[in-house]
Amino acid sequence: MRWFGFGFNAFGQIYGQDKLLEGECFENEQEVKVSSPTELTAQEDRSDCRLKTDCQIRASWSRRASLYLNGDSCVCLSGFISNESCGNPVKESRGCKDAIISESYLTLAFSDRLESWDLQKKETSPSWSMEIKTDPEISGTPLNLPLVPGGYIATKTPFYRSLSPHLRAKSLALSSEHAILLSASGTVYTWGLGSHGQLGHGVLTPEEEPRAVEALWGLPMSCVATGGWHSVCISDGGDLYVWGWNESGQLGLPSQGLRKATQQESSQQQEESPCRDASTSTAEEPQEGETHEEVFISIQAFPALLDITPLCEVSTVSCGCRHTAAVTTTGDLYTWGWGDYGQLGHQTLISSDEPQRVELFKEQQMRVVDVVCGAWNTFASVVKEEVAGP
Amino acid sequence: MSKDVSLMHTLWTKISAVLPKDEEKFPLPFGAVVESSVVEMLRRSRCQLYSDTTSASRMLTAKILLDFSWEKLNTGTWRHVDKEWRRVYSYGCLFKVAALCCGDPSAEDVLEALRTCDMGLLMGAAIMEDILQVIVRILQGEVRKSTKEEDSEHPQLKRIKMEHVPVIREEVAIPRVKRPSLESFNTNYLLPLKPLILEGTIEHWPALNQHPWSIEYLRSVAGCRTVPVEVGSRYTDEGWSQTLLTVNEFIDRYILNKDGVKGSGYLAQHQLFDQIPELKADIRPPDYCCLGEGDEEDITVNAWFGPGGTVSPLHQDPQQNFLAQVVGSKYIRLYSPEDTDKLYPHQSQLLHNTSQVDVENPDTERFPEFAKAPYLECVLQPGDVLFIPVQHWHYVRSLELSFSVSFWWS
Repeated sequence: MRWFGFGFNAFGQIYGQDKLLEGECFENEQEVKVSSPTELTAQEDRSDCRLKTDCQIRASWSRRASLYLNGDSCVCLSGFISNESCGNPVKESRGCKDAIISESYLTLAFSDRLESWDLQKKETSPSWSMEIKTDPEISGTPLNLPLVPGGYIATKTPFYRSLSPHLRAKSLALSSEHAILLSASGTVYTWGLGSHGQLGHGVLTPEEEPRAVEALWGLPMSCVATGGWHSVCISDGGDLYVWGWNESGQLGLPSQGLRKATQQESSQQQEESPCRDASTSTAEEPQEGETHEEVFISIQAFPALLDITPLCEVSTVSCGCRHTAAVTTTGDLYTWGWGDYGQLGHQTLISSDEPQRVELFKEQQMRVVDVVCGAWNTFASVVKEEVAGP
Repeated sequence: MSKDVSLMHTLWTKISAVLPKDEEKFPLPFGAVVESSVVEMLRRSRCQLYSDTTSASRMLTAKILLDFSWEKLNTGTWRHVDKEWRRVYSYGCLFKVAALCCGDPSAEDVLEALRTCDMGLLMGAAIMEDILQVIVRILQGEVRKSTKEEDSEHPQLKRIKMEHVPVIREEVAIPRVKRPSLESFNTNYLLPLKPLILEGTIEHWPALNQHPWSIEYLRSVAGCRTVPVEVGSRYTDEGWSQTLLTVNEFIDRYILNKDGVKGSGYLAQHQLFDQIPELKADIRPPDYCCLGEGDEEDITVNAWFGPGGTVSPLHQDPQQNFLAQVVGSKYIRLYSPEDTDKLYPHQSQLLHNTSQVDVENPDTERFPEFAKAPYLECVLQPGDVLFIPVQHWHYVRSLELSFSVSFWWS
């Protein structure tokens, strides 16, 4: 399995780390904005990590974590490493079962405990830790970070948040503003802030507690993902549903904000105000505007079915802050949304409100099997395409 | 072109003069809220400022700072955005301005730099003793120098469009008093929360005297400044949105209708006077505000500038309001908070302070009680100041080109 990355690379998190001194960043466009998929190579002196084994990728804004989980597991970090941060590979990660990374913390799951390490300080103990009880009652809850037995690990303190066992949580995706949970029965629950429609309940009000997305009732889902202000899920049948903010086309629906930006008009910025409370233009419905007989969507408050390609089903999806990447069952990678840093991988810096296939993988006869997005970049794992027999 | 070149060199010299002399003297004080990766990016920008790096590299680092902080500014509610992120955004604007103006900026670069300063002033928070405000003044000077005087296309502005003027019935007219004493205003209007039009209290404003506000005056003082504009007929409508335009663009498009754009535009509820100090100097907060509990700094001053026909739907505000009319006239209707039950406020949290009823064209089937609600009304003229007591419902329609200034106080 090989990994490729594209998009934001100012801290060398995709390639070129060895050219940077501690705490440095790139300043020229080619290195900062990687617009063509580039293979990730393990750093030379990482003899500790088994380079040939499969690894998983986790990414934040300025870093990428490579998880080596076979045998002698560990986590290796790329990207912004300052004087104060922990060494590489993260020695404290030896033996971990899973890891997630945010801009400030690396959270590690071991068989008996969880630990969150502050990436901005050099410390000998984690900022937070918790024992995992192997209680038969809650052992049904899988360890699937950020899900942990009885709850989940949030991106900021308090780290541990409990979840009702009634939810039967199977997987969880978090953004800084909202959360989307997939239950064992395929039901999708959302909570958090909702001012951009990212909760999918048809309104723009927040939800304090997990609330089922009724519009998807009866349609079992198999995968959920969150971007900064949008949500995505895949049905058992391989259909993709999107909702939330579409200002950069991250929903794959026509985006007026995108057309305006390319026409070099000023972008819309919305403010709240005491009198008008007009942070959105309509209270309860998807916002639409008509220009040139086209209907634009800037906020989609109910899930919408997105047809990426009529030919095949979606197997997995991941979201960056303002872009989305989906892998089909036929091994193609489609991306759409914000593209200023090359995170769509189409060898341009253009944003797009239409899903487009990343052609490079097709051209090189590579089959994409997984995709993981950082805030402003995208990582895809590929295997060689099997040539169909005669 | 050599003349322009020397002008532009002067521009960078002027801007450098207001920046710290070297990297060491350039502060980047940030707390724990801003991650160290972002601080590193800020340091990189600062380093570039004092080195020979290309404009492209500087623009890129500034862009990274602006993109990241923009995302923070859009996270959560505006009220709760940590001020540190707004400061990062302002630094991003500063570094972008430097990238645009170092070397040989074109006229477009200068306008883009002006716009960038305004974005920092609108969305950011003051840094380095409000350096963006200082730089804006330098950039405005450059723009004025290189802009030839436009031929006097004196469009007929005075009464371009006079909307339908309602006749005010005597029985429901808001009372008018010329220069009431502080005490009588307090006793008869403020304490009992009764509306009043105060006459003769702003005659001394420079906006009505030495610098009478006019389209030409506003263009000269603020023409190239970027301001938020509300587009669409009223904020309860589906097609309503906000956009950013220069004052010149706003005047051309929505007041003079130069490019035939349909739909209305309103420079509404904007703290223009914080952004453009020259205009702040033309107005004064009413003396009567001293009767409240707050300080002068706590008074929120908003500008309301637009063509005839702009409408603010019936709504209420949580503070006392003095609405000063400077240019043009407005039809205003007031309802007491005691009659809220007849005014059908929206249920949603977002619009609970706004009535569902279209005051001048009410749907009597959906809102039968509305006709029974007593009201007061007026046509507010230049020089008038309307006292709108706290929580009093008010509906406003401009009858012609209009500029009002509101003072929210407690």
